Amino acid sequence: MEPTDAELVAAFRGGDPEALGLLMERHKGALYGYLLRLTGRRDAAEDLFQEVFLKLVRDPGAYREREKFAAWLFTVARNAALDRFRREGARAEVPLEGDDGRPGPADFAASPEPGPEAAAVNGELGARIDAALGALSADQREVFYLRHYSGLSFKEIAELLGLPIGTVLARMSRAAAALRARLEKDAQ
Amino acid sequence: MNCGYGEKLILYFYGEADAALAAEVSAHLAGCPACRGELEALRAVSGRLAPEAPRPEVLASVMRTARALAGKRGRGPVFGWRELLLSGALASVLAGLFAVSGRPSRELAWNAGLDSRLDSVEYSVYQAQADFTASAGDWDYSYSELEDESLNVKDNV
Ligand SMILES: [Zn+2]
Repeated sequence: MEPTDAELVAAFRGGDPEALGLLMERHKGALYGYLLRLTGRRDAAEDLFQEVFLKLVRDPGAYREREKFAAWLFTVARNAALDRFRREGARAEVPLEGDDGRPGPADFAASPEPGPEAAAVNGELGARIDAALGALSADQREVFYLRHYSGLSFKEIAELLGLPIGTVLARMSRAAAALRARLEKDAQ
Repeated sequence: MNCGYGEKLILYFYGEADAALAAEVSAHLAGCPACRGELEALRAVSGRLAPEAPRPEVLASVMRTARALAGKRGRGPVFGWRELLLSGALASVLAGLFAVSGRPSRELAWNAGLDSRLDSVEYSVYQAQADFTASAGDWDYSYSELEDESLNVKDNV
């Protein structure tokens, strides 16, 4: 039997640093994939990845066992990314308004998604999908990436975001409709 | 989409629809090209959002801080008799490796534990390796602490 996330955190708290290694190994692909999509930059995603786990290193009690570890991990990651968006935005003095006026992932300076022109020129499916994701609203993209990378249910994501589950599902549904419209248009 | 199945389709695609809802959506899909199109788009995009691997240095630097802090706090792992026996055996193996490589092979234990799916026996061995390397030498901790200062550490963590 593999140790659970909670058991690994407990082992780490008990003084075994290698338990943290197992925990990172287990979650690295999803967390880093999420951060990379969110920030669009490897250096930023790596900084944030370290920041998230260093928070646990410095304060192993920050994670409470009644909570799902992935929920804790993605909450911390999301908050760290939002903090970074604000800091970078303040420095760069670019407007930071998301769809609803809050700073959001879409406000981050660089994006991994090639522009529509680039996508049209290269015509490759992956590039078209990236462009379609890039064209989603910040709110839609946020729930979309969380659902895909965290493995959390919509109910858990709603709790994480402090939103009613209906809002989360509505955003997902609008995102799916927008993705379909965009991809079908590209295909013509 | 005007059919009113947008959110039901989401629950269906992500496996969160109960049996009754799943059957309902399935039946609806047969007659709704819009929903079929969305499902296809969701499938295509899902395939694109794959996990990504951070560079090993990123994980290694977190581990250095974790080991340094564990050393500083002096809350080293507790040895059980079984681990003690295992680590004794492993110590000689690792000491040999140390002699060859010229530095305590902390990364060895780290990697050994990660690549395999650990059953309980393997996990004990892994633990023992970890215990051994964790106590491998104070000079290494001070080295780690020095490195810790130059780490990419955020002040507001
Ligand atoms: Zn429909």
